[in-house]
Amino acid sequence: MSALSAADRELVLRKLRLPPVLSGPITCGDLDDQVLSHVTQKPPRAWAVAFSITSLAALAGFAFIGYTFYVGIGAWGNNIPVAWAFGIINFVFWIGIGHAGTLISAILLLFRARWRNAIARFAEAMTIFAVMVAGLFPLIHVGRPWLAFWLMPYPNQRGLWPNFRSPLMWDVFAVSTYFSVSLLYWYLGLVPDFASLRDRTRGRVRRFLYSVLSFGWRGAATHWHHFERAYLVIAGLATGLVLSVHSVVSFDFAVSLVPGWHMTIFPPYFVCGAIFAGFAMVVLAMVVVRTTMHLEHLITEYHLDVMNRILLTCSCLMAYAYLLEGFTAWYSMNPYIHHTFLQYIVGAYGWAGRLTIACNILIPQLLWLRFFRRNTAGMLLVSVAVTIGMWFERFVIIVSSLHQDFLPSSWHLYKPTVVDFGILTGSFGLFFTLVLLFARVLPVIATTEMKIVLPGSQPGGESHER
Amino acid sequence: MNGKGSVLGIFANARLLVEAIPDIRGKATGRLEAYTPFPIHGIDRALGLRKSPVGGMVFLMGVVGALSGLLFELWANGVDYPILTAGKPYLSWEAFVPIMFEMTVLFACFTSGLGMLLLLNRLPLFRNPVLRSPAMALFTKDKFGLEVQLDERGPDAETVAALLRQSGAEAVERIEEAGPRAAASPEFLASVAGGIVLVCALAGLLTYWATKLFPVSVPMVHMLSQPRLDPERSDPFFRDGFGMRPPVAATVLRGSVPYLIASEEEAAVVQNPLPRTEAVLGRGRQLFTDHCAVCHGLLGNGIGTLTPAYGAKPANLVAQKIIDLRDGQIHYVVRMGKNAMPSYAADLDDDQRWAAVHYVRALQRALNAKDEDIAR
Amino acid sequence: MNPDTDKKLAVAAASGLAGALATVAVCGWQRFWINWILWFVFLLTIGLGCLFLVALEHVVGARWSVPLRRVPERLSSLALLVGPASLLALFSLGTLYPWTRPESLKDPAVSGKAVWLNTRFFSARVVGCLLLWAVAYWILVRGSVRQDRTGDPRFNLRARRFAPLFMIIFAITITVVAFDWISSLEPAWYSDVFGVYLFAGTFLAGLAATSLAVLYLKRIGRLSQVGPDHLYNLGGFLFAFTVFWCYIGFAQYLLMWYANMPEEVFWYKERLAGGWGPLLVGLAVVHFLVPFLILIPRAAKSDPRFLFWTAALMLLSHWLDLYWMIFPAAGRSPLPGWPELCFGLLFVSGALLFIRGLLRRGSDMPAGDPFLGEGLEFRL
Repeated sequence: MSALSAADRELVLRKLRLPPVLSGPITCGDLDDQVLSHVTQKPPRAWAVAFSITSLAALAGFAFIGYTFYVGIGAWGNNIPVAWAFGIINFVFWIGIGHAGTLISAILLLFRARWRNAIARFAEAMTIFAVMVAGLFPLIHVGRPWLAFWLMPYPNQRGLWPNFRSPLMWDVFAVSTYFSVSLLYWYLGLVPDFASLRDRTRGRVRRFLYSVLSFGWRGAATHWHHFERAYLVIAGLATGLVLSVHSVVSFDFAVSLVPGWHMTIFPPYFVCGAIFAGFAMVVLAMVVVRTTMHLEHLITEYHLDVMNRILLTCSCLMAYAYLLEGFTAWYSMNPYIHHTFLQYIVGAYGWAGRLTIACNILIPQLLWLRFFRRNTAGMLLVSVAVTIGMWFERFVIIVSSLHQDFLPSSWHLYKPTVVDFGILTGSFGLFFTLVLLFARVLPVIATTEMKIVLPGSQPGGESHER
Repeated sequence: MNGKGSVLGIFANARLLVEAIPDIRGKATGRLEAYTPFPIHGIDRALGLRKSPVGGMVFLMGVVGALSGLLFELWANGVDYPILTAGKPYLSWEAFVPIMFEMTVLFACFTSGLGMLLLLNRLPLFRNPVLRSPAMALFTKDKFGLEVQLDERGPDAETVAALLRQSGAEAVERIEEAGPRAAASPEFLASVAGGIVLVCALAGLLTYWATKLFPVSVPMVHMLSQPRLDPERSDPFFRDGFGMRPPVAATVLRGSVPYLIASEEEAAVVQNPLPRTEAVLGRGRQLFTDHCAVCHGLLGNGIGTLTPAYGAKPANLVAQKIIDLRDGQIHYVVRMGKNAMPSYAADLDDDQRWAAVHYVRALQRALNAKDEDIAR
Repeated sequence: MNPDTDKKLAVAAASGLAGALATVAVCGWQRFWINWILWFVFLLTIGLGCLFLVALEHVVGARWSVPLRRVPERLSSLALLVGPASLLALFSLGTLYPWTRPESLKDPAVSGKAVWLNTRFFSARVVGCLLLWAVAYWILVRGSVRQDRTGDPRFNLRARRFAPLFMIIFAITITVVAFDWISSLEPAWYSDVFGVYLFAGTFLAGLAATSLAVLYLKRIGRLSQVGPDHLYNLGGFLFAFTVFWCYIGFAQYLLMWYANMPEEVFWYKERLAGGWGPLLVGLAVVHFLVPFLILIPRAAKSDPRFLFWTAALMLLSHWLDLYWMIFPAAGRSPLPGWPELCFGLLFVSGALLFIRGLLRRGSDMPAGDPFLGEGLEFRL
């Protein structure tokens, strides 16, 4: 290589430097004003319009659930052999969406990636809402949902205990642990912010509410000392929890003998898919939040760029998983697995399989181009494509494998009913309703965590933004 | 708290606070507490705080969670209610690992979060005087505080205030000690107790409703009241209202073999197909004891446990009259019944009947023994 | 570094070589080749793991690891050193791998795969992987060494662009190594997470080797500017990825145990019978439980002594992992005999000799990297 001139060298170094995480000088007081004011102000018109649409969808969803409750699961399109369809697809889909929040909130904390501080609160909230929506589905997809408490191990006069060897029981424990731990983690992070709200607010009722919620937080250094440690420890444990929850969900399928389901790569494959789908949803939500709430200087292009890179990485990992699944399906020399995998691509539901590959592998490759990583419309295109693709991936895994399983005399196509679609739409409506409510009632950025990384905030004066 | 309150210094930024602490620690003897809107690097060392025990607590409770999860699963599915699932052994630890892991994480996380809040920080302390002072609003926003407890040995409030101002505090506030906690009045305690009782009663009623009444109301009861034929219930589907139907005429029950012998005399020529082995006689004995002895007696002599109750006279199977009958005739009587004895065609299949016949013969021999029968 | 130690290592390697060659005469080719495969895969995974670490740093744009990067760069030469070893191993196909024999074609589970498992395609894959790794080595490692002299920041741009491509290459090639060298010892068996499982072990091996080398250099007074904060990150990664390894290993076992399909579980049954079952338990303990418990406390992650012994234990347990996977295919019992010890002597001494030679040359840190200063200033 020829030697570089000083000007050229500077050019290269500039390309290598990362874009700023925060833009503009900003003080702690400014931060509080910009973020916490949204909690006290009246929401803009756009919020009210969006809220009415989503809550309408959610209510419609609940109406369909009520109808299912009254009439029975026959209202859905489930049949034999496709006994598990939209119910489980939606469950796996929504649990997956939740994982990105924990990844951003917990795993990135462990890596000391401080750019996560601007988006952690929102991402963690999305986790909780996604898990809440997901938790609906195991409840409503059983024949007698009012007896769901039978899944809990409690002493009873029948002398029965649930079957702990069943992956469905593992699911019950994993999802409820995931929900309670995420809620606890989210709440702990909110405690100092509630203290800020308590001290800013004027109304007596609100002040009382925030006092109780903030648990008497004073910001004492001795308290911060234990708080930081506890928060970090929970982050470490939550990381393991994320891996385990979606692995347990994958065990629902992988421990069975159904061809196409019993593949050992399912646990890491599902975890990767979950992170993939979740990040797409986070990117979607971030783009909307930063523009409507005027937080572009806190959630910057850097954040979007990094999240898109993670999306691209996950897409490549999914491509590896698909490749391995296809190769191993052939390598196994098992004629049933061969048949099933062919059906994925060219069978009755082959259109769904091809759509999955296009949305999950092909379209996200656009993110190699810097334009798509920085441009709002480009990002939204990729995120929506990934969301659709990941939903259809679960559809392919479940419906396509089941509709032609072992006994050819049982083979039968699956057709979802209006009720199925209604509940799916309702789940999206519920999720976005909760997100909109959250944006209105709680600070969307963890102001306390942001203050840690503001330049000049620490005594050494060092920049901690990344 | 030791009776004299404290002095609170307010600093403009973190650096001033951290630099002030060693100064104040040298000169004031009371306990120090710093207040910051966010955690500050290096302040733990400046204040001389010991390592947080959160890690140890979490590890301990994580192990407790893991062990209790695993042991409970092993006990519930292996010992108390062992079920065979997928042919796995009862104590299959592999299948119990996922739930054990979740219990570990659950116990550990809640120990960390709640242990930190409630145990280590002893929150909430809503009556803390600094919490109630107007400076608190500054500390959650952008200012930093240093509180110095006053005690008898150390400097008084004015000296400490001057020290703080010297170290860079932009304002100083005197904090009075919180008044004594109001003793709980009897009315308060009574209302709390009453509240607990009320909550328990409501919870109990709710549980009863949820588990007993709710499942049998509409629409939950739809699962039970389905349009199907239930055993021993009437049903409007059939004109006569009976749910249970007799067999269709001119059809044969699946698995039934037609019995072509018309009378006891015809049955005389049929031979006993079973060999007279110990196993067959054992079976015969079992069957006789179960089915026949109740009327004919354990010895076959017609004196069974039900004889006095019925007032009927069952045949004495060891009498000469029955000894003279052929095997086939005895079999015919068992199959078709005779007089007051019902047919045992539904109770015993063919093999069982023949085995019982063998045993009857053995009884006959045993109860009509002669000296020559004692061999050797 | 003491030249006497080098002499001792050379003597050890020579005696190991003599013993290894004697194995052919005394115990036969199968014993010789099974040991050869085990050891060359072991060194290959260490080298590849280090190359992966280097590429990972470029992909993520991490700054804290820049001062340490020269160590895995040097260690990745191991992957190329075993290039000739893997080419030699191609001669083992006839002895060890059943699919090379015509009677295997009777089993439909193997004959169907003949288009993939045949000597020609297998060799082509081996050569292809070597070429790809050599290209990656040239771009990432030699480029970094060249940057020491020129200080040209364009290397960073080039590495940043190539590293993601290397990740794809690495994913495919490590899967090929796993399926070809290890899994096809029993060609009827299949597990699609096997590539990921070997990756987990590889990454840990690379991390462990890097940690050991870093700590060794610090002990002899070099790399003095690398502080406890850097060590903490190394310890943290070791901690996290030992959990990942255990997770993948257990998931594969649990799924096969639960479904209990004969065409899958025979592989595990072989590896639980005889003494192999207790060895597996021991493997779980030394590869996961012991490092996990040692590295939980925060202080332990940055303590050089804990880190050194834990990393050494992890390297040993990675070897044990490969031993447990490969040796039962030859129907051996787990107790090592003198051939195993000789091979150990040969490869360990040879590798140490090679690594010591590597560490002598060149600078200890990437002197020309523009972010070296930022990396040295890293604090948690």
